[in-house]
Amino acid sequence: MAGRKAALKAVDWAAFAERVPANQRAMFNALKTRNDALTARLAALPEKPPTIDWAFYKANVAKAGMVDEFQKKFSALKVPEPVDTQTAKIDAQEKEAAKSTAEYIQASKARIAEYEQQLQKLKNMIPFEQMTYEDLYDAFPESKLNKEKYPYWPHKPIADL
Amino acid sequence: RALCPLVPSAPAALRALPPPVAVGVLHTTRPLHTTQQSLAPVPPLPEKGGEVRHGLIPEEFFQFLYPKTGVTGPYMLGTGLLLYFLSKEIYVVNHETAAAACILGVIIYGIKKFGADVAAFADKLNEEKLASARAMKSESIETLQKAIEEEKKEQWRAEGRSYLFDAKRNNIAMLLEANYRERLLMVYTEVKKRLDYQVAMQNLKRQKEQDHMIQWVEKSVIQSITPQQQKESIAKCILDLKALSKSAHAAV
Repeated sequence: MAGRKAALKAVDWAAFAERVPANQRAMFNALKTRNDALTARLAALPEKPPTIDWAFYKANVAKAGMVDEFQKKFSALKVPEPVDTQTAKIDAQEKEAAKSTAEYIQASKARIAEYEQQLQKLKNMIPFEQMTYEDLYDAFPESKLNKEKYPYWPHKPIADL
Repeated sequence: RALCPLVPSAPAALRALPPPVAVGVLHTTRPLHTTQQSLAPVPPLPEKGGEVRHGLIPEEFFQFLYPKTGVTGPYMLGTGLLLYFLSKEIYVVNHETAAAACILGVIIYGIKKFGADVAAFADKLNEEKLASARAMKSESIETLQKAIEEEKKEQWRAEGRSYLFDAKRNNIAMLLEANYRERLLMVYTEVKKRLDYQVAMQNLKRQKEQDHMIQWVEKSVIQSITPQQQKESIAKCILDLKALSKSAHAAV
């Protein structure tokens, strides 16, 4: 009986739904429907089955000893609890997810730092009116004309004009 | 202070005088390279170029002559010089003069009529280039900011992973519990079914025996009624009926 009453942790489905990205919505819906089905099934089953009225049967069943035998065997019967095989796997998954999330967040922070740096560079740029062409090439290295590769004007492939 | 470089050769007496009236349009020399470090970026060019009179002669010349000769000085100088060149034939009037006059006339007419438009057009071209460059820059800035937003949002999303695992564990727990209850219920129903079957069988047997007994008793009673008894009972019934009808008539 100890494992029976593992308390169900309340899941805030609204908050959960907010965090689901668009491309995983189908999986989320599937999970939710499964959860709802299970909840409904659980609610429909009574927690304890009703007790059998042994006195009535003892009085009415003619065969001697049958009711007593049934009663003895019934109270001796122990219904096995279903064994939980999956929770360990879920825990393992969770740990793995935590690790990969940490990695992802690291990479994401690095990306954010990069973007911030570029943003700062753009914001601190001198206004275009005061730039010379050299300043332009410093600020946007990709706009520099490659005079070694294309020695003749316009110093870039014609398709790029 | 700004005019000193322009009047280095003025006599001391002149220098003692207050500096000439600054008309407000005079163009101070740009102090480039006044310190060791080179100024970069170069400060922007002033909006307007140096003031010029009659399109040719800088204003500084008029200011230069103003203290000595007043307002009409430079004009007198100009007229005098021109007449001197013409009368002494230092400049000879020939067919080139006519050509020069016509060409200059056309040029001046053209500039006066179309100058402003051309200048506006050139400015527009420049402005377009600048605008496109600025648009690119602001677009890049926006894209970067949006990218940063998106990254932060993704991080926030990733933090919600605990919901998923809680939901999964809940599912498992519910499934186990439901299965257990189902098993208990099954045990109960099966045992009850069997006991009920026994009781029902007994009841049925009892009932069948009763019915059979009743039928048998009835049959034997009917058989035991002899014809003699039947006639007697019918006669008695008729008498009873007559008596009843008499009392019924009386009642009505």
